Amino acid sequence: MMLPDTALGLRAATPARSPSRWFGSRAARRVGKGVFTLLLCTFAALAQDARPDKPATPAEKYQALLKEREDGPEASSNAKTAEERKQIQARLGKLHLKFLELAEQNPTDPVALDALLQTVAIVNGTAFPEGGKDSPDERALSLLLRDHDRSDRLGIVCQYVLFGFHKSHEDFLRAVLEKNSHAEVQGLACLSLAQYLNNRLQRLELLPDQPEQVERYHRVFGKEYVERLQRQDRAAVAREAEALFERAAEKYGDVKIPVTYYGSGGTIREKAEGELFQIRHLAVGKVAPEIEGEDQDGKRFKLSDYRGKVVLLDFWYRL
Amino acid sequence: MAQWPHERSLVKNLKDKPFALIGVHLNNSGDDASVVRKVMAKEQLNWRSFVDKGAIADKWKPAGTPSFYILDAKGVIRHKWAGAPSAKAIDMALENVIHDAEQEAKLLSK
Repeated sequence: MMLPDTALGLRAATPARSPSRWFGSRAARRVGKGVFTLLLCTFAALAQDARPDKPATPAEKYQALLKEREDGPEASSNAKTAEERKQIQARLGKLHLKFLELAEQNPTDPVALDALLQTVAIVNGTAFPEGGKDSPDERALSLLLRDHDRSDRLGIVCQYVLFGFHKSHEDFLRAVLEKNSHAEVQGLACLSLAQYLNNRLQRLELLPDQPEQVERYHRVFGKEYVERLQRQDRAAVAREAEALFERAAEKYGDVKIPVTYYGSGGTIREKAEGELFQIRHLAVGKVAPEIEGEDQDGKRFKLSDYRGKVVLLDFWYRL
Repeated sequence: MAQWPHERSLVKNLKDKPFALIGVHLNNSGDDASVVRKVMAKEQLNWRSFVDKGAIADKWKPAGTPSFYILDAKGVIRHKWAGAPSAKAIDMALENVIHDAEQEAKLLSK
């Protein structure tokens, strides 16, 4: 049955009165299949004829998906019933796949790139993004490398994946850094790869303190991969991250970082120098930088006043 | 805050050890020392805290609150956590580092 595609198109165009919701229900499908199929086809044909113009172009489909993504959270919180909310959530949960399919079906259309950016952004909005062979994320990244590796718009993708942890993210960042010739993209690939390596190291270091998380790491990222990472030469990875931060600050310092969930902008120089300060002065094994200031009674004191004692330093906020 | 009861007990239990708890109050809404002093008195946070006006956070860039560092007697960072670690993780780390500090003090006094 070819209905799903048509139904999707209709849904995007007229979300409130889509007939597909009725036909989609399992109970409905069980009732008199033959009659129903006939009815269904007529209905779908009618619905399509009723539209004044041709089937939606890729650009129109993209806009419809984009609108769904933007309006989704509000629509969900305005839902009148739990059932309605569930349906909206279920559709939002599939948006990354819809963007990806749009790109896969129209690889030469200009919106393919926009759609792939959406997929990667949505999938990587969490510290445990779904990955692995044939996952939407890997399919999107490999299409980006296949068709768009020279695009001047890949910088933001590099930022999307910097907490990704998957091997595919590392491979993507290295490939962009090597193949893309736009200075801005190179700079963001360089910075993002350094951030990625650094984040991955930090998460691996925290893992022994979080035994309840180990199972999740194995499930999402693969047991063999995580164990291989735990055996790697961490000092060598840390040195590579440091060298990449240095290169990013020196060569691409003025490039602006796009605002994503992970960063509030600023320049590559600011970000990279902050990270270098962490690596050089705030890592385990380094002498803590001096702190000088006033205590709650207005008396001045220094962190180094406490040499000779073990100090638990607590960054806190009064809330 | 969830970590305060544990911190109060640390200060109490380790008062005869070479140990100090030092806070750095972050300047999220421009609080001055008097606001911080009031909160600390009310919550019985009986330790010293820097009152940051932004300069400390700019340098240290704590990834979240609370963030913890354990420094040994020479000021070397031995552990760090962004976000609250378990009380047990802090206890175990402190025990080791304090043990090292005591051993070293003993060697020096000989």
